[in-house]
This record gives sequence, structure tokens and C-alpha cells, in this order.
Amino acid sequence: MTAAISRFSGLRRAAIVAGALIVMAIGGHAVRVLKAQPEAAPPPIPDLAGVWDGGRRSHPTNSATSPWAKTMAEGATLPDGTPAGKNYVSNFPELNERGLAFQKIFDEPLSPKYDCQPSTPPALPYDPFPVEIVQWPDRVLFRYEKDDQLRTVWLDGRQPTARDYGVQGFSVGRYEGNALVMETTNYVFDITGFDDYNGIPSSQQKKVRERYWREGEQLKATVTVEDPMFLRKPTSYTMRYLPAPKGYKLKAFDCDPEAARLSVQFITPRYK
Amino acid sequence: MKVFAASLVAAGLVAAAAPLLAHHSAAAAYDETKKVEAQGTVTRLLVKNPHSWIFLESTDDKGQKIEWQIEMGGVTSMAWTKEALPIGTVVKAVGHPSRAPGSHGMTAAIFSKPDGTPLGPRGGRGEYVPR
Repeated sequence: MTAAISRFSGLRRAAIVAGALIVMAIGGHAVRVLKAQPEAAPPPIPDLAGVWDGGRRSHPTNSATSPWAKTMAEGATLPDGTPAGKNYVSNFPELNERGLAFQKIFDEPLSPKYDCQPSTPPALPYDPFPVEIVQWPDRVLFRYEKDDQLRTVWLDGRQPTARDYGVQGFSVGRYEGNALVMETTNYVFDITGFDDYNGIPSSQQKKVRERYWREGEQLKATVTVEDPMFLRKPTSYTMRYLPAPKGYKLKAFDCDPEAARLSVQFITPRYK
Repeated sequence: MKVFAASLVAAGLVAAAAPLLAHHSAAAAYDETKKVEAQGTVTRLLVKNPHSWIFLESTDDKGQKIEWQIEMGGVTSMAWTKEALPIGTVVKAVGHPSRAPGSHGMTAAIFSKPDGTPLGPRGGRGEYVPR
């Protein structure tokens, strides 16, 4: 009886080993077949590089009604350079109670821009100044003439750590088809971080999603902002840049604190 | 220098001189529905970002010395230079007045000689229209 069991076990072991060898052989063949096939070429990276003009000829200058507008007259120029239709839909942010309260007490002299604090998205990409886009394999650089700001968009999969909070946050991105898609988080609180014309702040919860793509000679961008601290829901604008004049090189902005603050004396403050 | 100040005129007359102040809302600091005229001696040009400034030494209607502070565009749009508007030049400036009571600020200014002859680039506008 014991010998019979032993024989059976031996046969079973032999069968298992044989099976494993067959599987390995088939698998190995499959691997060889896969290896034999040519590797698929990576999708082409869209060419967004260059110096782009964000000035008045590209889109209306930033104001209390641009790029965020509750209403637009039919035919008025939209941030993307196209005329507004008859059924324009407001993109003005829907503020929650906290946002409304902040907006209500906002006083223009409080704005940190009068002390040369740089603007941030969503305002920064829309400021009427040139921006240079540089594409490297592991990152995309956005160099803004306005306020001498540099935003680095990491493409290598890294994620922000607890130490990566900053005025311009932390940006990660990827290419999707013909577009660069990026997301920026880890902003610090900014009293005019959403919009400095309407007194809307932004918080550490601000998340900015941007999509950049070419349409012929134009560079288009959709900028979407969410910030549950102040906004009831995300909102966005789509804008365009035109190529900067050939050979244009970014100039140093070099914000001067005296020049920045002088006009504050002419504003009648809401509070004494 | 005598000030021809506070000749406030209706809004439509100054619509063509809309300021190029993208850095902030000009309406917060200046009354864009009015204009003011001042005459004085150029004492300083501050060609800087986010905005440039031209300073005029003048006197108010009581003979007290005052300083007009005239806000212009940033470095890229500022066409005035120290060569084009030398220190010591006597000029007349017309633009939107500042809002704060008792202040002597102005923006979107057009400059001329005291007799009204246009001065400098762009018919005295002094700023480039953005591309």
C-alpha cells in the first residue's frame, strides 16, 4: 500500500515537472515571439516650444471682466480670440459663503501685488506678457516675463512631497495626443490667488488643471481651477497666445517695490 | 509753477487715452470719468515694472509746492526716456485724476509744452500701444 502511494506520488511529481517544462517552453516561445516584434514608436511630442505673446493682440487684457465674465456682448472678443455668441455662458466663479465673505471684505490696498508678490495661476497665464515654453524630456518649463516667474512641470512621474508647497505650487504633467496636460497643487494661501480684479482668494486646496495645444500658429490653453475652500465648483477659461515677434527674448521684469506701491496712496481704502 | 489743476471734464473726452495698467485696476486709484490738467517741472523719471512714473514739481493754487506723480505703463510700454523728457523740462500733463482726496496723482497722461504743442513720442502719449 505504502509502495503504491509512493509510486503515485512519484508519477504526480513527474507530471507536474513535465507540465512546468511545457509551460516554460511555450512561455519562452511566446517571449521570443514578443521580442521579435518591433517596438511601437512612442507617440510624437507636440511642439509647444517658443516664446508666446500673451498681450492684447492675442486676447483681451485682464480686467474685472476678462477672463472671468458673467456676461459678454455678442461679438465681443473672448479670451481665446473668437467672438462671443448670443448664448454666452458665464464662467465667473460660483463662490461659496466663505468666498463671498472674503470678497466682501477685500480692500484693494491689501493686494500683495503692490509689494511685488507674483501672480499665480489662473491669473498668471492670462497676464498680458510673453511666456517662453521650453520642453525637456523630463520636464516642461514655463518662463513668464511677468514677475520673472518660472513654473516647472515634471513629466517623470514624481509627486509633490510635504515640503513642496510654494507660491507657484507643484506641477506634474504628461502629453496626451497633441496636448500637454498638467495639474498644479500645493499652493500656499493667496489673498488674490484666484483673481486680483474681483478680490477672490485661493487656498492650499487650489488645484489648477491646464491643457496646452497648438492650432496652427496659435497656442491654445484651457485653464481650470477648483478650490473647495472658496468655490462651489470648478470653473475655466480658454485662451490663446500668438507667436512673439521673431527673435524676441524675455526681458527681466525686476518688479520695483517703490513703483509697485506708489499708486496705493491714490486708492481710497474701505477701512481706516 | 502754477497748476492748472482740477479742470474736470466729462468722460467721453478722455476715452481715447485709456490707461494700460494691466497690473491693477486703474479704476481703484483713478477716476477714469474725469480728467485733470497740471503744469510743472520734470524732476524724476522712474522707468520700472510694474509701472513707470513721471514726477513734476508744481504749486497748488495757494502757492504751496506740490508734487504730481504720474503713473505710466511698465518698462515695455514706456516710451519716455530721460533723453526724451529731460529733468528740468516744463510740461503740461492732462490725464485721469487720482481718487484719494488731496492727492496729486494722474494716469493716462498726455504731455505737451506749456503752450499746448505736442511733446515727445506718440503725440505726447508717451506709451506704446501693446503689440
